Amino acid sequence: MRRRNRSPEVMAISEQELTVMTNDLEQIHNDVGVPAMNKAVREWTERSRTSRRGFLIGAGAVAGGALIAACSSGSSSSTTTTSGGSSGAPTAGKLTGDLAVAALAAGLENLAVAAYGDVLTAAGAGKLGTVPPAISTFVTTVKGQHAQHAQAWNSAITGAGHAAIATPDPVLTPVITADFKKVTDVPGAAKLALMLEEVAGATYQSAVGVVKAVSSVQVAASIQPVELQHAAILNFALGQYPVPNAFSPLMHARPLTDYTG
Amino acid sequence: MTSWLRAGPDGTEPTAPDIDPGAMGVLIEQSQDIHSDAMASTVEALDELVQTGAEIRAHGDLDPEESRQAAARRTRLMTGAAFGGGMLAAAGIGGALQSLFASPAFAASATDVQILQTAASIETLAVSTYKTALTLPFIGGASANPVVKAFATTTMQQHQQHLDAFNGAITGLGGKTQTSPDPALAKVVAAAVPGLTSPGPVVALALELEQGAAETYVVDVATLSDANAKKLTASIMGVEAQHASVLLAVQALLDANAPQLITLAPGNVANLPAAAGSVGFAMAFFPTDQARPATEGALS
Repeated sequence: MRRRNRSPEVMAISEQELTVMTNDLEQIHNDVGVPAMNKAVREWTERSRTSRRGFLIGAGAVAGGALIAACSSGSSSSTTTTSGGSSGAPTAGKLTGDLAVAALAAGLENLAVAAYGDVLTAAGAGKLGTVPPAISTFVTTVKGQHAQHAQAWNSAITGAGHAAIATPDPVLTPVITADFKKVTDVPGAAKLALMLEEVAGATYQSAVGVVKAVSSVQVAASIQPVELQHAAILNFALGQYPVPNAFSPLMHARPLTDYTG
Repeated sequence: MTSWLRAGPDGTEPTAPDIDPGAMGVLIEQSQDIHSDAMASTVEALDELVQTGAEIRAHGDLDPEESRQAAARRTRLMTGAAFGGGMLAAAGIGGALQSLFASPAFAASATDVQILQTAASIETLAVSTYKTALTLPFIGGASANPVVKAFATTTMQQHQQHLDAFNGAITGLGGKTQTSPDPALAKVVAAAVPGLTSPGPVVALALELEQGAAETYVVDVATLSDANAKKLTASIMGVEAQHASVLLAVQALLDANAPQLITLAPGNVANLPAAAGSVGFAMAFFPTDQARPATEGALS
């Protein structure tokens, strides 16, 4: 990745101090954030296993072995997992309720990981022009966080005996792919990333009011603010006011039917 | 009092941040247009809350299943099983409150009102803190960085809107509005005020309030029973997290002696150090260890 020449005196001080601060926050994250998330996912998984009503796991099996069978045009979806059997193997079946939300979310996170990966690849190939170092750090860090989010959502799914969602969101992927082909510079990539973050944040905010298990709410609530933080920094990088709303909107949330179809 | 604009590392005179106040006004205006759209869903949730409160008062009870779920959540909190670890237990909840909770018909609304009152008390304190900060010359005066001044002004207004919304929700559920600051956090602010002699301490104090608010609301959405109170709180928690994110970035640039980089000027991102790309959100999952106890700001 190409980097812009900078004043070494000012940046040397900034880099050192900022890196120390970042490392401190990363340590806090490892000490506090990850254990709390793991606890919530464990509770969610346990509830999924023991639910008598089956509203989490979903009882209706759907024919076919596709990892994601449907999710068309932002309307209804019926997310399915690969077939399998008992004894620990992934089970076949349509995901409903909280697990359908988790599946939708995992798809969004997979898309984000892939999109940021494409940005890194394009930047490395010189297709985005000069890439500021702060943007390089942002993309690398955020890509890693989205991978952790995907893992968290998938933990609930695999914990309930289903196969993990390994593919990107089928509705948004063609849109993002087409838009990214038109991107020729860093601001263009940042605007696309901003859209993804806003969709993810709004979707999880919507999920907070939809999912049933408290642990499901906890997972969504612990990720939504982070996506909005990504959006704030992207706005700042684009020269836009970083906190534009007193109340985060839901207009970019994926449709409710995409969770429960 | 230390000047907001610090001298450069080579001892040169400080320079004003490169920002066009007119452009800043346009940006905020655009933001407010977007905000109006966001308000529509919030108003809808509040309207539903008012309707819920009217139904509760008219019929004297809640949906039995909702009350059962509230009781289950309450038990989990008291045994310390909730995300973030036993908020009510940590607050020293006593027998009187447990007796109140023993009435399943009103369990959900009573608990929700307490949570919302605490949220309102946090917002009240945030408004007053930013208001105080804006009286300082290096935050709201002539020597202030325009972006920091605009941020403090806009953020204060956003907290006022949060306060109004939380109190609207409380009223909708039949509770008393809360207009006093969180008593525990107010002591923290009062102790910090004498030391607010430069931008750094102000940013640190604001960051503490924003992080605490965001973490509290993350816990609250898993605790609240009323669906609309939950939606309202969910629409605010991420905004507080964004405030914290901006403050983290500002704090880092101040600590790095680079206040001139706190600007929304086009192309400024090219001048930011690499670490600035991640300092605002080091955690992949938002923590809750600084969440305030649910009853801390509740009215007795």
